[in-house]
Amino acid sequence: MAIHEKSLIRPENLITHDNLVIDGVDVSGDWSTFIRTRVVTDYNEALEDEISALPGGELIHRCWQCGSCTNSCTVNAENPDFNPRYWIYLIRMGMEDELLRDKDIIWQCVSCNKCTTICPRDVVPEGVMKATAHWLELKGHTKPSNSTIFDEVFSDQVIKYGKIEDGEVLKDFLKESGQPLMQDWIVQMVKNMIKGLPVIQLMKMGWATVFHPKTKDWSKARDAINEYVAEEHAAQKKALGLDEYKDAAE
Amino acid sequence: MNKPILVVGGGPAGLSAAHSLASVGQKVVLVEKEDTLGGAPILCGYSKLVPSGEWAKDAIGSMVDRVVKNKLIKVHTGVSVKEFSGKPGNFKAELSDGKKVAAGSTILCTGFTHFDSINKPEWGFGSFPDVVTTTQVEQMISSGQGVRRPSNGEKPKRVAILLCVGSRDRQIGREWCSKICCSVSAKMGMEIREELPDCHVYIYYMDIRTFGLYEEMYWKSQEEFKVKYIKARIAEVTSDGDKVIVKGEDTLVKRPITIPFDMVVHAIGMDPNVDNMLISSIFGVDLHHWGFLDQQNMYGTAGATSRDGVFVAGAATGPETIDDSIAQGSAAAMSALASMTAKVAAE
Repeated sequence: MAIHEKSLIRPENLITHDNLVIDGVDVSGDWSTFIRTRVVTDYNEALEDEISALPGGELIHRCWQCGSCTNSCTVNAENPDFNPRYWIYLIRMGMEDELLRDKDIIWQCVSCNKCTTICPRDVVPEGVMKATAHWLELKGHTKPSNSTIFDEVFSDQVIKYGKIEDGEVLKDFLKESGQPLMQDWIVQMVKNMIKGLPVIQLMKMGWATVFHPKTKDWSKARDAINEYVAEEHAAQKKALGLDEYKDAAE
Repeated sequence: MNKPILVVGGGPAGLSAAHSLASVGQKVVLVEKEDTLGGAPILCGYSKLVPSGEWAKDAIGSMVDRVVKNKLIKVHTGVSVKEFSGKPGNFKAELSDGKKVAAGSTILCTGFTHFDSINKPEWGFGSFPDVVTTTQVEQMISSGQGVRRPSNGEKPKRVAILLCVGSRDRQIGREWCSKICCSVSAKMGMEIREELPDCHVYIYYMDIRTFGLYEEMYWKSQEEFKVKYIKARIAEVTSDGDKVIVKGEDTLVKRPITIPFDMVVHAIGMDPNVDNMLISSIFGVDLHHWGFLDQQNMYGTAGATSRDGVFVAGAATGPETIDDSIAQGSAAAMSALASMTAKVAAE
């Protein structure tokens, strides 16, 4: 019988043997191709719980699969494989293997939030995408993305000093993301700044580089924020069953 | 005007009709074939009603009480109407206990019969003890026993509710939507999750028809109780000796599923009353082509049947909610009263 839905067969599910004899019958070659089953044999309820334990994923259980998020999606217009509706479903049904197939495109969400605006159930799909990308990183399925590294470098400085120093953010980001400091565009930018900025501005920047700007009486706020972050990380660690909470920038 | 109105059937519609008539001073004879008044919600031991959330024994019980206590209503339980003849304003009915009743008009509130899941053998009811119906789960809840696996009495960890069992199915001659099963299932999902927070509830649907304000139950069951809805018409229910295994196609991922469950619940539909052929011949009223009691001219007199002076209300007319059955009972009461008054005045 002809196979009507060939598009559903994945190459990795096709099995052929160059040399195979079963019960004295030669079944080598293409004519005895086997197709591995696509049957879903169980639901893994833990996956939804894990994603919903991360910031942004809390409302995923509301989804009724209308597809508004995918229809409105900026990235989907460019890449039809980017399908928030589908991933939300996979997460809810616990189809982890299926989700992991798309691990290298889930992070591509540009956070335009058109899905958030259009969602009739307030699922906040953008948040779910963020939580899912975060989940992939925490579970070690993907490396921390540059945006995650930048976020952490940035917030680490804010937590530490109450303020950021632009040059240091850039320096730390490049270091953590494994990029060289001496890049053409950076060299060009610094040259332009030296040429174009008033001397007083350059002096201020130099001062800030040497003496990191700080917010006055910041220590109490810092301790409170650190305590909260530690609590959140502990909760997420527990929810995801992780041995340790890996901060991308650590 | 002195002749009573005969109300046949003591469920929500009949109780409502009888009470409405009595409240305007009209005498009523209420005939119920079972020994207890209250209809399906009482006889089948429903738990909390949709959408009020009130317990059936309280809500319907209060309707029974006010009818039983009303001096204008003469209640006959455990009997049915054997013969019925006469004309509007002057009907004569003979009951199965031999009593004769003269009536000015009649309201048939003869209700429905629950679909018998044995007619869908591929879904495992009757073959596997852990496959039950919504009515059975209602009884588990209303009895205070709680939702348990019939096979071993344990708390289920995962329950599937299959919608449209005995509804919207040409294969078994039930093409109608039974209207309330989606809402009842959403409510049941919430009740299960409330009693057993560790138990996951999956509802397999073709369409969700929580119409009108009942939509709130669909939302609430998902948003507050995390009941999961999966678009799949189940092909077959089997068992590995312990779990019941649900097979079908998950249409959203285009993949076959064979998922183990601790319990499978059939959201059974509403059949025409099994006695409708008999009722049709005794009272001389036409049946709808699907077997319910037919209503004439939806835009004329409420609840009119093919016979003058005989009216119909509630789930006898087709799958109906309790709320609407009560409203129809009242509406048919008005029609019956008007028909009798008009006829008598004309004579």
